[in-house]
Amino acid sequence: KMGRRSAPRACGGSALRRVFPLRYLLCASGDFVKVYSVSTEETLRLMGGHADLVTGIQLNPHNHMQLYSSSLDGTIKLWDFMDGIPIKTFTVGSKLLALYAPASAEDSVFVVIPKKGERDTFQLVSVKLAKGAGQDLEAKELSVVLDGVGASMKHIAFGREGEYVVSVKDVNLQVYFFKRKLLNRFSLSTLKTKGGDNNFSCVVCHPTEDCIATGHADGKIRLWRNFHHRKEYTYSTLHWHHDIVMDLAFSVEGTRLLSGGVESVLVQWHNESSCQKDFLPRLGSPIEYISMSSDGALCCTLHTDNRITIINSNLRFSRSIQGLIKSRDVKTGLVVDPRTKALVLNGEPGHLQFYSLQSDQQLFSLDIVQRQYIHQAGLKQSDLVKVAFSARGTWLATVEESEEVTDPELQLKLWFYNEETQSFKLNTRINSPHDNHITDMCFRDMNELEEDSLILVTTGRDCVFKVWVMVEDTDPEGNVSWSCDFVGSYHNYQATNCCFSEDGSLLAVSFEETVTVWDSLTWDLKCTFCHPPGNIRNICFGRQTCSKYLIGATDYGFLCCWNLLTCALEWSAHLNVVVLQPDPLSEHIAAVSWLSKESSLFVFKPNEPRPIYIQRNLCKEKILLAAFVPRDEPEIISSEKYYWLRRSQLFFLTDTQELMTLSTKSLEERLTPSSKQLAVEESLPVTPFSLLLGKHRRQQAQEDTELGKPVVGVITVNVQLLHTPAHVLPSASFLCTIFINSLLISKENKSAEEIADEVEVESEKAEDDSDEEDVTEMEQEDTSHTELLGEMTCKLSKSQEKELRKIRKTDYSWISAF
Amino acid sequence: STTWHPPPEVTRIMVNHRVEKAKRECVVWAIALLSSGTVVSADSFGRVQFWDWQQGTLAESHTVSSSAALSLAVSEKEDSIVVGTSTGATYQLQLLPVKLGGLEKRWVRTKPFQYHSHDVRAVAHSPSALISGGTTLVIRPLMEKVQKKGYDAVLRKFTFPHRRLVSCARKARLLLFQFSQHLELWRLGSTEETGKDGEVLPLCRMPEHLVQLKSKGPEHIYCSCVSPCGTWLGYSTASRFHLYRVRCDGDGVSLRKVPKVPKLLPPAYQLQFSADSDSLFVASARGSVHVLQLLEPGGCKLLHIACGCSEAVYLLAPSADGHWLAAVSGDWAIHVYNLKCFKHHCVVPTYNCAVSALAIHPSTNNLVIAYSDQQLVEFSIPEKQYTGWSRALQSRGLHRAWLERDSPITHITFNPKNPAHILLHDTYLLCVLDKSLPLPDDSTLLMNQSTLKQLPETARKRQLHAFKICKKFQPLLFMDLLDENCLVVVERPIMDFKTQLPMPVQQKKFGT
Repeated sequence: KMGRRSAPRACGGSALRRVFPLRYLLCASGDFVKVYSVSTEETLRLMGGHADLVTGIQLNPHNHMQLYSSSLDGTIKLWDFMDGIPIKTFTVGSKLLALYAPASAEDSVFVVIPKKGERDTFQLVSVKLAKGAGQDLEAKELSVVLDGVGASMKHIAFGREGEYVVSVKDVNLQVYFFKRKLLNRFSLSTLKTKGGDNNFSCVVCHPTEDCIATGHADGKIRLWRNFHHRKEYTYSTLHWHHDIVMDLAFSVEGTRLLSGGVESVLVQWHNESSCQKDFLPRLGSPIEYISMSSDGALCCTLHTDNRITIINSNLRFSRSIQGLIKSRDVKTGLVVDPRTKALVLNGEPGHLQFYSLQSDQQLFSLDIVQRQYIHQAGLKQSDLVKVAFSARGTWLATVEESEEVTDPELQLKLWFYNEETQSFKLNTRINSPHDNHITDMCFRDMNELEEDSLILVTTGRDCVFKVWVMVEDTDPEGNVSWSCDFVGSYHNYQATNCCFSEDGSLLAVSFEETVTVWDSLTWDLKCTFCHPPGNIRNICFGRQTCSKYLIGATDYGFLCCWNLLTCALEWSAHLNVVVLQPDPLSEHIAAVSWLSKESSLFVFKPNEPRPIYIQRNLCKEKILLAAFVPRDEPEIISSEKYYWLRRSQLFFLTDTQELMTLSTKSLEERLTPSSKQLAVEESLPVTPFSLLLGKHRRQQAQEDTELGKPVVGVITVNVQLLHTPAHVLPSASFLCTIFINSLLISKENKSAEEIADEVEVESEKAEDDSDEEDVTEMEQEDTSHTELLGEMTCKLSKSQEKELRKIRKTDYSWISAF
Repeated sequence: STTWHPPPEVTRIMVNHRVEKAKRECVVWAIALLSSGTVVSADSFGRVQFWDWQQGTLAESHTVSSSAALSLAVSEKEDSIVVGTSTGATYQLQLLPVKLGGLEKRWVRTKPFQYHSHDVRAVAHSPSALISGGTTLVIRPLMEKVQKKGYDAVLRKFTFPHRRLVSCARKARLLLFQFSQHLELWRLGSTEETGKDGEVLPLCRMPEHLVQLKSKGPEHIYCSCVSPCGTWLGYSTASRFHLYRVRCDGDGVSLRKVPKVPKLLPPAYQLQFSADSDSLFVASARGSVHVLQLLEPGGCKLLHIACGCSEAVYLLAPSADGHWLAAVSGDWAIHVYNLKCFKHHCVVPTYNCAVSALAIHPSTNNLVIAYSDQQLVEFSIPEKQYTGWSRALQSRGLHRAWLERDSPITHITFNPKNPAHILLHDTYLLCVLDKSLPLPDDSTLLMNQSTLKQLPETARKRQLHAFKICKKFQPLLFMDLLDENCLVVVERPIMDFKTQLPMPVQQKKFGT
């Protein structure tokens, strides 16, 4: 099963506008809706259920604890986002590109759908949400409001009290007044004089006045008034942005207008005056969306690099929510930091991001280029292109080059990890290490060997590969620096790839069509391999039992395996391999192919020509990079099919910069992350009671680990009990025994029984009250547990049975009120 | 500008009351009073503020510009205000409903316009256009108020005043240039050689700056004139009229002020010497024309006051024989006086457009009139009716290209050699109107001089029409015939005075 992990996706055309019900930040992210806590920045919930990209989310204007979401799969879902439960699903049928839920519409919402029979033409329709029992409903009552609207969420806005709707497209603005059934169209000049470009980019409406604010491609903001007159309409202009205005937002009272664009500056305009404005600069990357909280206390900006910034009402940076930073182009590849097991790749321009896969958070960002990045089109700037870690993560090598195609300015930097400061410190900077682009770079990967034997190899398009070694400086402090030790070449071909064998004795360097194998001690050319026609695209050595094999993929669509002992081709397969990734902890090698618009995964051992795992049609996007990330502990995998995933986890990065992984678990299992319970606990206020609870929990956890048995969710029940609002709980006298029992240090068997007991109680409750999501999760955990415990749970003592019955009789009608 | 209001008590409004941090002084440059009792002020902080007249409290404040707001004008309906600023930008403020169809209205700054490089010192608000004046005058039509696309819907820009600023002493070959605060008298150079068309001839005598006359006091010179013989010179400011006697002794020139000039209470709008330099006509703001007799060696006396005009007289044209005088008043009526018997002769039928220039033909005593909408008429003074040619021109209609010109005719003169020739000019063209030739229609090319040159003689004859237009000199300030063979043209390149202007207010432009 394919699992997708993505932080809020700013890319990929998922239109999203975040909505703030005071403490939560909701964000459409891929096929999911994420719920963040504003105070802790943590992902509280991940609401899945849509089968395609979520294109719009809107709070239910009549119930602020509910959320509407629309998706390309043609459904509108109503969620209870507090608990992450879908309440209703309305099937509309056609693709939904944007969603609007103005308060004035009683029982309908507005969506943008493609017009039937016409390509790239969209219309705004109102959808009557059928009232009926059952979860899945059909919503077929559509009425067209506006024709020829833009497909983006930002191109339509509803006016004060839903009296009118505005749509912008190209240089045209249309306003439809619902009550008067009046449609007014206004056009701006299409001429692009003096660098002006009147194309609309976004539109918002003043919350209390009849004023429309539009953003334009040339950075202007126009404020339209009097637009019920076809002739005497008027607008004023605000101009600060030098490039397209990406989004606009009015404050709750409408006195302030926020605008953002590629400058990475949030501009606040007061009273529609061009003279009074405030700036929040240095937000890191272009602003894509701006959203205001419903009470006006906070606003947030979503950036193109996949980051959410929360900003106070006084325009002060508050905090940011960031997962995987989307960079313009991942040139470095996916690299795993041996120290933190974090994924390392291009982050902000010129920075290296360390992304923790466990917490979906950025650990830190290392500034490699150390130059101010200027957001301006056409400016040639340096960026990070290659990165490599030494085996233990003590050394980091980076290559940066300017975007100049013909004469790149190259720099090779070597960084040493400083234990004291817990960060990388620049050790050596080498200007122009090669005369042309550097194509590949690797360290000699020897865990056991001493530091002195550390070797770095770089290959370049200047037809040489260079070997860099550490030399001790002459100064008394005995510092080390790096310098070139050997330059190798082969028939003046461009060097494209390099890799060391597992023991470090051999270096393979590919020169266009040929793979050369060098002795890493004497730098003698040992042997060459080739599989004409076609240049070598990837090479790697086999590991462990397969060390005698060298694998290469050609751009002519062949995967070859050469035997280093016989210097002969062992086997070859016809496969257009894009990515070739060996697992560092096993002999498995993953190859990702790209054929007829789908990526397929093949996992094989070099000594067996037959792959041990094939996953065709892995995804529709092109997979550009892959990485095996070692697991902390080998996972117990029941299915033999996935046995190769035991020690490492495989991650992919697609051309749309989506990070994906192969998971052996089902979607439901993954949707209930353990961190969620943790988050709930941490949000509990610190009281003597919670301290007691925490102490108990730690004890229990310790015991559990000592006993070596899986942790059972006793505490979860308690926490849940504490977490549930008091007014929906049964009487304290009823809960008291259960609660006290759970706190008691019980004998093994008994505790298990009791747990099972409780679970049964809870799960029954869950049947009545679907809001309790934690309970359903409990049930799942329980199933595995009961398996372990075997028959034991089935036998209940009479007194327990009696108690159970008593509980069953208890009146639960109070739940139905909710 | 100042607006008065009847209540006798004084309400003092402190405009810079709320500006604490500003050390600069706040200057209110313009105010306007709305019928609702709201005072609108424009100040040097770039604010337009709305004050309650009774209480003196601030109702609204709009910072329209970072530099000073200098001028202010309110539309007749009081739903729109135009503000001029020192950066050369003008802004429109509109009274717009807060909610569509609602009663609550608020002033909103809407459109900015940048047509000037320097101070916009005066603005006016017509029902369909915003008019702003600084170093240039701009009429910006409000497109939403213009009914159809046409002349009214086009932006107009005027760099030069539609007045004659140069006068010429034909016989003495002197030119008098009028500046805002001084006059310059120049003697024209001359040549003895002849050459072909387009050739620049060497001068045997260089043009000579004879004298510079500075006006006293801060007042601007309103009008000036030099007599045809070059011995008299007069100018008028808003309050005073001055007459000088010019004496040429050898190379030097001396000016002597004529004493005891009759006190003319209202300022003169136009001065004109008679062709024989015996008398001076002074057009007054009260609608009368004063005829002064000039006496040797340096005196004058008031001969007659010709009345009849109801509004200020702003243009005068005496006939060459000293018999007639035509005067145009502010209500665009043209009165013709008989100077021999000091009698009102007749009134030319009134046309609904301003007269931009007029002149009396020296031989036929036909009055040629140019209107600001580019219409031309010829009126026979002795017969008190339009001439046949004029009627033919009216029935035929003028060429469309002629009518769509921007700048009005500012001076008319005649060719003594050929009575059928009328010479006209505006800021951009010089035209010889040959009454003997057929009139052009819209299908022919109006400005055909360059194409005619390339045609053979016979074909050229067929293509000839009455309007011979030369656009060689631009911008053209003045043109006159000195004698039969000599035409003087005054050109004033815009760069000449643009370089003399002070630097505009520094503004940061993105990317500079």
